[in-house]
Amino acid sequence: MRKGDQTARFWTVLLLTTGIGLAAMYVSLTNGTFDISALDVIRTLLRIDTTREHDLVIFDFRLPRIVIGAIVGIGLGIAGAALQGITKNALADPGILGIHAAAGMSVVICMFLVSGSVKGAGWASAIAMPMFGWIGGLGAIVLLYMLARHNGEFDPQRLILVGIALGSGFGAITLYVSLKMNPQDFEMATVWLSGSIYNANWKHVAAALPWILILTPIVWRKAGILDLFQLNELSVKGIGVRTGRERQILLLCCVGLVSACVSVSGSIGFVGLIAPHIARRLVGIHYKYIVPVCGAIGMVMVVIGDMIGKTIFAPAELPVGIVISIIGVPYFVYLLYRARKRR
Amino acid sequence: MEPYGVSEGCDGAVGEIMRGFGKLKGFAVTVIGAVLVVLTIALSVMHGTKAISCAAVWDAIFRFDNENIDHLIIQTSRIPRVIGALLIGAFLAVSGALMQGMTRNYLASPSIMGVTDGSVFVITLCMVFMPGTSSMTMIVFSLIGSALGAGLVFGLARLLPGGFSPITLAVLGTIIGTFLGGVSQALASYYQVSQNISFWYNARLHQMDPAMIKLSIPFAIAGFALALIVSRWVTALSLGDDVAKGLGLNIVFIKGLTMLSVVILTGISVALAGKIAFIGLIIPHIARYMVGQDYRKIVPFSALIGALFLAWCDLISRFINHPFETPIGVVTALFGVPFFLYLIKTRGGGKHA
Repeated sequence: MRKGDQTARFWTVLLLTTGIGLAAMYVSLTNGTFDISALDVIRTLLRIDTTREHDLVIFDFRLPRIVIGAIVGIGLGIAGAALQGITKNALADPGILGIHAAAGMSVVICMFLVSGSVKGAGWASAIAMPMFGWIGGLGAIVLLYMLARHNGEFDPQRLILVGIALGSGFGAITLYVSLKMNPQDFEMATVWLSGSIYNANWKHVAAALPWILILTPIVWRKAGILDLFQLNELSVKGIGVRTGRERQILLLCCVGLVSACVSVSGSIGFVGLIAPHIARRLVGIHYKYIVPVCGAIGMVMVVIGDMIGKTIFAPAELPVGIVISIIGVPYFVYLLYRARKRR
Repeated sequence: MEPYGVSEGCDGAVGEIMRGFGKLKGFAVTVIGAVLVVLTIALSVMHGTKAISCAAVWDAIFRFDNENIDHLIIQTSRIPRVIGALLIGAFLAVSGALMQGMTRNYLASPSIMGVTDGSVFVITLCMVFMPGTSSMTMIVFSLIGSALGAGLVFGLARLLPGGFSPITLAVLGTIIGTFLGGVSQALASYYQVSQNISFWYNARLHQMDPAMIKLSIPFAIAGFALALIVSRWVTALSLGDDVAKGLGLNIVFIKGLTMLSVVILTGISVALAGKIAFIGLIIPHIARYMVGQDYRKIVPFSALIGALFLAWCDLISRFINHPFETPIGVVTALFGVPFFLYLIKTRGGGKHA
């Protein structure tokens, strides 16, 4: 493929995916427990001729939920792409590495410590949650690093195994802490842990958005280095890349993205795993293209997943994490199967 | 090699003595094991939210009194519980040992390989579409589910290049497990049986049903017998498929039998007590460390250690957060996670066991 072609293809894919995402947002904005016509939505958004019900439904229920879905999708998709690049393993996923579990654990501990006094409503707690999540995620990464090092060399394979181990450990701690909570907090924690975005509000948006806005460009700028990481360790060093440092920066960015997402939406799995695979099939192997496309695909996945989750079993709702795993896994298996046939 | 291996290599009088010593050692292990099991049962029956004296336990067993509350607690709750814990520990440890030997993968175990999740999935289907099925049918469905989970994970592993490496298999197991879990949760919340299902999901040693234990015994005997029969061949398999073939073994047949045994044992333990992680992973390693590479010894040893381990975890779980009980999964993870990390640290990444 020539370079010009590839760039053109990249833009087409990116625009198409974003378009699909916007369409999905539109559908999920207009449909729901009661339907609002397109005209009314536009009127409400542009503040022409407003009615109180429409204001309430759109601004307090539907819009924050969609925005959170989009943010979380972008964050998880990009974090997944970066992680797969760093570990050179197409099966790496923030969930499998135990980062979700760690961020989840520290958020639950946070809920436990401040139980009752904050009630999860104030601005302070909304901002503090991602911070706590980030600290937990950072702890997980430090542990991962310490345990996955072998004879001073960093072993990507070992990283995944350690991740699985840490994930179940953190899960157990979360379970233990959540059982010590009072029933009200416990309810909140379980709803949140199962990966749902239905109680989203603007505070969550405000808490997660800065992380995404700051960290996404950093990861994108490092895309060239992610490309180089695909070579073997010695060649990368030979080219003059400070592998250790670059890897640490990228990992920190990933943890930041994932923790921000987990702290507002609980653990939504598989986005970080599947989005990079789709992106690679669409735009080739250059991370310069993969990273933004991953973000867009992640956004589409979460927004559509949430839409399905809230409509298909209405009035009951299915957490978006579950919807994505049900749809995502068969597709992922199909991808693996195709990859094998090509060999 | 361990002393057993050496003794088989010796000849003459020395060999005779060594063999005699080996037998003596086997006898001693059996006696010590039995003593430990009895001790564990006694401790487990006596301690809990309500401490019960030794004399009361004795009376409850041999002079049961319908009016006495302590006696009722012991007969209907404590004894089934400790028996269940012992059995399930043994089941899971043996299936872990067989899986590790068969796949030559030091991470293989029923909970990581999606076997338990498969079982939970089919149980969910069964609860949704056939409410009110008997316990016996549940056990059968649990077996079918285990087979399904194992089939999916191993089938996928066959499809992938290098699919049987510890890492790919572990990741596949996790993915399939999450998937089956997700589908069951979706079905459960759609048909509004979540509460019944979560009753199955969560390890529930504390409400062991004596009738279920009695029902499961024929399966348990079949599973154990099968495990002991295949164990000699598993030793050959653990040296590699080529070696096993060279020894004139029918690999497909043996692997099938081994999987059957794993499926029976895991299926029963999920039917009895839900998902309990880490037993099947850790115990076989400890057993291997103690008795060497021969699966004829690893299998019974795993059973013994697994039984004791789970019973003790159960006992500890009653005291971590006294007077409330801690989920058994937390306790097994407490020991399991550090051990798992240690394994990874010492065994390394992509190599086979």
